[in-house]
Amino acid sequence: MSASSDGIAAAAAPLLQVEGISCRFGGLLALDRVSLELVEGEIFGLIGPNGAGKTTLFNVISGLTTASSGRCLWRGVPTAGLGACRLNRLGIARTFQNLRLFESLSVRENVLVGLHHAARAPLLGALLGHGAFRRHQGRLEARAMELLALLELEALAEQRAGDLPYGDRRRLEIARALATAPRLLLLDEPAAGMNPAEKDDLRQLIGRIRDHYSLTVLIIEHHVPLMMRLCDRLAVLNFGRRIALGSPAEVRRDPLVIEAYLGGSGGGQGSAAGEGR
Amino acid sequence: MDLIQILVNGLSVGAVYGLFALGYTLVFSVLGVINFAHGAVFTLGAYFTYLLIGGAIGANGLMAGFQLPFALPFWGALPLAGLGAALVALLVERVAFRPLRRRRADPLLALITSLGAGVILVNLIQLLVGAESYAIPTSVLGGLPASFPLLGARVRTVQALLLGVAVLLLALLSLWLEGSRNGRGLQAVAEDPETAQLLGIDSTAMVRLAFGLSGFLAGVAGGLVGLSVSIAGPYFGIGYGLKGLAVLVLGGLGSVPGAVLGGLIVGLAEAFVPADWSGYKDAVSYGFLFLVLLLRPRGLLGRPLPTKV
Amino acid sequence: MDAALLEQMLLGALLALSVYLPLRCGQLSLATPGFYAVGGYVAALLSTRVAAFAGSGATSPLWALVAEMVLGGILAGLIALAIGGPVLQLRGIYLAIATIALVEILRVLNLNLPFTGGAMGIFAIPQPFEQADGYVLFTLVLLALACWLCQRLEVLRLGRAMAAIRDDELAAASVGIDTPRTKLIAFVASAVLAGVTGALAAHFLNAWNARAGSFDASITTLAFVVFGGSRYWLGPVLGGLVLTALPELLRPVGDLRLILFGSVILLGPLFFPQGLVTAERLRGLGALLGRAPQAP
Repeated sequence: MSASSDGIAAAAAPLLQVEGISCRFGGLLALDRVSLELVEGEIFGLIGPNGAGKTTLFNVISGLTTASSGRCLWRGVPTAGLGACRLNRLGIARTFQNLRLFESLSVRENVLVGLHHAARAPLLGALLGHGAFRRHQGRLEARAMELLALLELEALAEQRAGDLPYGDRRRLEIARALATAPRLLLLDEPAAGMNPAEKDDLRQLIGRIRDHYSLTVLIIEHHVPLMMRLCDRLAVLNFGRRIALGSPAEVRRDPLVIEAYLGGSGGGQGSAAGEGR
Repeated sequence: MDLIQILVNGLSVGAVYGLFALGYTLVFSVLGVINFAHGAVFTLGAYFTYLLIGGAIGANGLMAGFQLPFALPFWGALPLAGLGAALVALLVERVAFRPLRRRRADPLLALITSLGAGVILVNLIQLLVGAESYAIPTSVLGGLPASFPLLGARVRTVQALLLGVAVLLLALLSLWLEGSRNGRGLQAVAEDPETAQLLGIDSTAMVRLAFGLSGFLAGVAGGLVGLSVSIAGPYFGIGYGLKGLAVLVLGGLGSVPGAVLGGLIVGLAEAFVPADWSGYKDAVSYGFLFLVLLLRPRGLLGRPLPTKV
Repeated sequence: MDAALLEQMLLGALLALSVYLPLRCGQLSLATPGFYAVGGYVAALLSTRVAAFAGSGATSPLWALVAEMVLGGILAGLIALAIGGPVLQLRGIYLAIATIALVEILRVLNLNLPFTGGAMGIFAIPQPFEQADGYVLFTLVLLALACWLCQRLEVLRLGRAMAAIRDDELAAASVGIDTPRTKLIAFVASAVLAGVTGALAAHFLNAWNARAGSFDASITTLAFVVFGGSRYWLGPVLGGLVLTALPELLRPVGDLRLILFGSVILLGPLFFPQGLVTAERLRGLGALLGRAPQAP
C-alpha cells in the first residue's frame, strides 16, 4: 500500500477522495452524502455553521468514526476499517477541536510520542541504553526540538502540557501531529481562542508548514476572513450536506452559502464572511 | 429435586441477588463508582435482623451473651434491620465518598476508601460478636408451614418468601423511581448531574438518598438470606458482594431493570448446576459476566455511552 | 525486623508493580492475584510431584526454583495473552470488574480441579533456601530487576506510548500508537510478573491454596498502588512494602489491627489523593540529592 511501490498510479490519483459519506447517530444525520477530493499540496478549507458535521467528517477521515455509508480512498485505496493508528501510519495526522494533549507529559515528551513511528529500536540495546540506542535517542530529541522551534515552543519544552496556556496548546497539538510525518494534516479549529494577531501568525505558520513539508492541509475554522486568505479551495457544509465547493471567491458569491450563513444560526458569522472581501 | 423447586430456588436466590445489585446500581448511577462496602452493609443487615428477633450473641466477642430485652416478629425486624443498614450506608457515604467528592478526586479512589470502610465494618462485627455463624430459626415465621404444595411439587416456604419480598420491594422501588418527586430527582441526577443542579435538584441530597436506599435494600437482603441459609460469620457478605457485582454488570451498570434481570439469570443458572458440579457453581455468574462483557460490553440492558471527540 | 516479614514485604512490592504496569497505561486491572495464584500452583505442583524439581538434598535446587518461576510466568502470561485481546477492549470500571471475574473463575477452578488439592491446597512445598534470609536476598535481586525495567520504561518508546494511552487513548491512537497492542503488552507483562512472584511465594509460604488469589488480594494489591501513587514505579514499591508490613506491625493491638488497617486504607486516599510518591515530591527529592530526576 506504500506510495513508492506504485509511484505513477499514486501520482495520478488524488491524495484523498471522500465519496458519498453519510453518518447517522441515532435519529441524527450528521453527514449526508458528502464528497470531496483533496489534491496533493493544497490547503483545503471546511467551513459551515456549528453542527454542520465538519468534525464528524474529520473523525471519519482519521478513522475515529465509522461512516454509515460511503467510502474514503487514500491514494486510490479504500481506508474502511483501518482505524486511527493505521491511518496515521499511512500519513493522516490531525488535531482536535477540544485539544487532546497528553497533559501529564512535558511539551517535549508530547512531540516524542508523535515520533513513536521513528523511535523503534532493538529491545536489548534500548534496555541497556548502549551507544547506538543513545545516538538514536539523540536524533529523536533533536527532531523534537526542531519541531518545537518551528512552532515557537522550544522555550517551554520541559513544561507540563496540561499547564500551557491555550494558544500554546493549539500549537503543541500541531507539532505533535507533524511529528508523525504526515502527508495530510487535518486541523480542527486551530485558531479557536486566539486573538487577531495570533490568528495572523497562525495563518502564516500553516502556509510555512505546508511549503516546508510539502503537505496537504485540510482545515476547519470558523473565522471566515482567515480561511478566505489561507485556503486554495473551500467546501461549505450545512446540516451535514456539502452546499458549496470552489475557490474562496466562488464560495463567497454562492447564494446557498449566503443563505446558510445569514438565514441559519450563524448571523454573526455571516457578517464575518462579508468582512472577508 | 423437581423442576418447580429448582425454579423457585433459582428465582428466589436470583431475586435476592437482584435486590443486592440494585443497591450497587443506585449508587453507581448517581456517582459512577462502585461501593465496595455494600457487602459489609448487607452482612450488618443480617446481624441486625438476628438481634431484633431476639437472638443472643455467642460466647466470643465484646458483646458476648448480649440479647435485646425484646423480640420482634420477623415482619417487624426485617424493615428495622433495613433501616439500621441504611444508617450505616449513610455513614459510609459520609466518611468514604463525600470527602472525595468535595475534593473532586479521582473516582477510582472511592473503590479504595469504600473498601477500607468495608474492612472496618467487617472486623468491627468480628470484634463485637465473634466469628461464629448464627441461624435465624424459621420459627420466626410464626405458624407458616415449612413447605407447601405448588403445581404438584413441594416448595420451601422460606424460598417463596424471599421471592415475594424481593418482588414486592422491586415493584415499590420502580413505582417510587417513576412516580415520586424524589425518585425522578434521583433519575435526573443519574442522567446528568450538571443539568439536574441547574434544575434546582440538590445532588448531595440525592446521593444521600441513593446510599440510604441502597443500604436499606442490602439490609433487607441480608436479613432474608440470614433466614434462608443462616449467617456464616462476618465475612459472609463478601461472596454475595462479588456476585452482586457480576449481576450488576450483567444487567448493565446503572440500569434498574437490568439489575433485576441479571439477578434472576444468575440465580436460575446457579440453580440448574447439577449437584456433581456444585463446586463450580460460584463460577457460573462470572462465566456469564465474562461472556456478556465480551459480547455486549455495556451489559444486557445498559445504555451505550456516546464517545465525544 | 525479622526476615520473614521482610520477605512478605518484598513480595508485596512485586505484586504492586504487577498492578502498576497496566495502570501505567490507564488500565485498571485487578487480575494480579489470579496470575499470582497460577504461578504459585505451577511451582507447588512441579516441586511436589516432579522428583527432579524437589531435589534430593536438604534443600531443593535453585535452578528448579528459577525454572518454576519462568514456567509460572509463562503460563500466567499465556493466559493473559489469550484473554487480553477481548478483555482490554473494556474500559474503566468494566475492565476492573471483568478482571475480578477472571480472578474468581481461576479461584473456583483452583478449588475444584482434580490436581490442585481442593480447599486444602498443596503443602510441604520443598525449600530452596535453608532460612528466610536466602529468600530475602533472592527476592531483592528480583525486585531490583523489576524496578530497573520500570525505570528504563520511562525513557523507552513503549513507556512513552503507555503514558500517552493513560493520558488520552484516542489521541494516542491518532498519533500512530497501536493502542490494543501496547495495552496487551502491559497486561501480559503484569501477568508474567505476578506469575513469577507466585512461584517464589509458594516456596516461601511452604503451602499454596486457592485463597492466594482472591478478591481481597485484588483490592489489597490495588491499595498498594493507590496508596503509594501510580505515576512512578517507586510509588507501588513503597505502597507494597508499607501496607504489607502494617497489619504485622499492628499485631500488638490484637483484634483492632484489621480495623486500623481498614482505617489506613480509608484515610490514605483522602489525605494523599495522588499517593505518597508524586512527581513534585520526586523532584523535591531529586533536588535534595543534587541531581535531575528522571521521573515524569
